[in-house]
Amino acid sequence: MEISMREVDNVAVLNLAGRLDLASGATMKQEIKKLFEQDTTSIHLNLSKVDFINSSGLGALVSVMKEIRLQKGRLTLSDLASYVQEIFDITQLSHIFEIFGTEEEALASFQTMSTNEVK
Amino acid sequence: MANYTLKYVTALESEHLMLDELTAILKKHQVKERLAQAVMLAVSEAFTNAAVHGHKLDSTKEIIVELIINDTEIHADILDNGSDGLDKIARRLPAKSMAEHGRGVDLIKHYADEVEFCSNVSGGLTVSMRFLIDAKSIEKTI
Repeated sequence: MEISMREVDNVAVLNLAGRLDLASGATMKQEIKKLFEQDTTSIHLNLSKVDFINSSGLGALVSVMKEIRLQKGRLTLSDLASYVQEIFDITQLSHIFEIFGTEEEALASFQTMSTNEVK
Repeated sequence: MANYTLKYVTALESEHLMLDELTAILKKHQVKERLAQAVMLAVSEAFTNAAVHGHKLDSTKEIIVELIINDTEIHADILDNGSDGLDKIARRLPAKSMAEHGRGVDLIKHYADEVEFCSNVSGGLTVSMRFLIDAKSIEKTI
């Protein structure tokens, strides 16, 4: 799996491409751990190029979610392929994760929350 | 009818190799996308279980994937030579919402039309899955 990273308005945006499974899930967790070490806890994962995910990949995402919550941060996902969305629905993880249709919608939500906090 | 026997060293990297080969086989037989996704996911789950729970990632052990593909169905057997696999399956509890593990068997049962867990001659676990090929499906091929 390939992971590319950029920052948009203080949110770390990771584009994942390929399969999210046991091995690549471990890689993803390591990359996100580096973000935590840099005190980055606003993270968005764009899954538009993820063409396969299994329970190990889901487990890796849950692990990341739990760590972000411990650090009072926020994790969002977007652009899930219908097959990937279906797996989230079947496992009821779509209730656990904040999933947006597009990256733009997800990033806008970070700005909205940031504005509300200022108020 | 086509038969395939695929063998892999127990290692994290082997899953990618297995999925690459499985993708190629399913494409060769023009298996439709929806069915191919179901087969790949279910086989992947059984493979991971064999590697992690059956073999404890012991690289001296081998995981075997056997496929039979004909006009009406795809049959996949995943064999390990671990121990207590059947007992672990019987004792498993559904995964809790924030659990990082424990969803694989449920996904197998969801995506395979039939699944059976049994002990094999090596003392390990065989996961046997059957996927029916719907000739009326109009979904695109991979």
